[in-house]
Amino acid sequence: MTAAIEVVDLKKSYDAVEAVRGIGFTVRAGEIFGFLGPNGAGKTTTIKILCTLLQATSGTARLAGLDVAASPNEVRRRIGVIFQDPALDDRLTAYENLMLHAVAYRVPRTERRARIDESLQFVDLFERRQDLTRTFSGGMKRRLEIARGLVHRPDILFLDEPTTGLDPQTRARTWEVLRGLREKYGTTLFLTTHYMDEAENCDRIAIVDHGTIVALDTPAALKQRVGKDLVAARTADPAGLAKLLSEKYGLPSTPADGGLTFLVEQGDAFIVKLLTTDRPALEGISVRRPTLDDVFLSLTGRQIRAEGAEGTAAKIRAMVRRRAG
Amino acid sequence: MIEVVYALWRRDMIKFLRDRRQLITSLTRSFIWLLAFGLGLRASVRIPASGTDYVSFLVPGLAAMTVLFASMFAAISIVWEREFGFLKELLVAPVPRGAIVAAKILAGSATALIETSVMLLLSPLVGARFSPLGALASLPLLVLFGMTVNALGIIVAARMKSFEGFGAVVNFVIQPVFFLSGALYPIAGLPRGLRVLVLVNPMTYVVDAVRGLCIGHHEFPLLLSTAIVVASALLLAALATRSFRRMEA
Repeated sequence: MTAAIEVVDLKKSYDAVEAVRGIGFTVRAGEIFGFLGPNGAGKTTTIKILCTLLQATSGTARLAGLDVAASPNEVRRRIGVIFQDPALDDRLTAYENLMLHAVAYRVPRTERRARIDESLQFVDLFERRQDLTRTFSGGMKRRLEIARGLVHRPDILFLDEPTTGLDPQTRARTWEVLRGLREKYGTTLFLTTHYMDEAENCDRIAIVDHGTIVALDTPAALKQRVGKDLVAARTADPAGLAKLLSEKYGLPSTPADGGLTFLVEQGDAFIVKLLTTDRPALEGISVRRPTLDDVFLSLTGRQIRAEGAEGTAAKIRAMVRRRAG
Repeated sequence: MIEVVYALWRRDMIKFLRDRRQLITSLTRSFIWLLAFGLGLRASVRIPASGTDYVSFLVPGLAAMTVLFASMFAAISIVWEREFGFLKELLVAPVPRGAIVAAKILAGSATALIETSVMLLLSPLVGARFSPLGALASLPLLVLFGMTVNALGIIVAARMKSFEGFGAVVNFVIQPVFFLSGALYPIAGLPRGLRVLVLVNPMTYVVDAVRGLCIGHHEFPLLLSTAIVVASALLLAALATRSFRRMEA
């Protein structure tokens, strides 16, 4: 069976800037595949190349066996794209937006109405079909875009940061819709995100940083790769505990609010040993499995920080996009 | 292909007709020009030789102006659509770029045709006298001119990265084309330097031909003017398709 997406040594430079520096991966049909990385890692550039909106500087990308550079129109017919910013005509109604899409993708005339209605019902917007999309909230617009992406039943659906800027409830609802999509139609989903919890929804994740893939695996396996658990200890004497950990066990630790944290293999067993043999003065202690955040940190030495400075990040994104053209 | 062009054309038409306030503004814009310029200058301007009154002389020029403005604004809407993302949806669709350009040009010409027809119908109210049949015969020429301007607008839009450049377009494209076209004055008595600029401007020939058809006052043979209008429409449409193909979202 042909892979849904097959990318070999893909590169893209803008003038002096190398946005994508030799990326390669394969996505199986029916898979939910995520590109996880901070803003500016090359995620959007990669998705634009795969969607035929940008030409790669070198390397190849094949979708369902079709080369994106050689047969863009064939590729376009088989994919759906949901962009980071809404790409709806906000002076048209929801129904008109979808109808235009159905015509553009040559959905057979007799099926259009039924497909549009079905898509609208799928995202729960059927009641609002005659309203101008400019009256829709951000979450409704995103759902309408997903509905639009379904009208022509694409083999592969691309989603660039599908839930950025949405509130937690809407994000959860969007993911319900996306998972339902795979179940119902077997659609392959390729998405980019900088949300760790969103990446957990993927079958496999490629962690990208500075235009390269630094790791590619299932979320569970990636977390396994860190291998250690994160222990957080609350104590009045962090210096003493740090000294004990480093001298007796050779474990480096990081000061934290009201105590310190450290990474150790089999954290639960280690705590028991620590408490029974060394009896340090502790006010509390907890162990947790590593998250994708820890994975990213251990791979790149940095944390993905996007929230907090969302406004700035969006501004920088807009600026970069303008420059990148 | 034809169905896609029609669907995209229809989309622009729906939007043109849906926004009532904007519709009224665009339908009355050139009539206000006619009121201000025509009535304002009627008393003091006499067209040499023919002795036509200024309002009637002005109507063909303003008909072409209406088309110029309407078509240029329609084409520039591409920049708007890029800013607000809709263009990406079109560019990623399996639709030939030529179809998108064709739909834009046809929709821009259709709105321009409506606007200019309204202006022509209203103009007798302020005393314009012209041959109704001549005006009817002018419409195809005006539509062709609309396509030319639309294509030019698409070429400009493809190079514009944001709406901030719009003022420059008005200053360096629309205004020179309009003022150097003989829409407001006869070109017979112009100083040589100015005359050269007027003669290389395709709009000059549209205005001249329409004026010839409407009030029988023209400088160039109708056939020559028509040939120039057709040729410039074809040339710019080809260039527009090419520059749109190269445009990235």
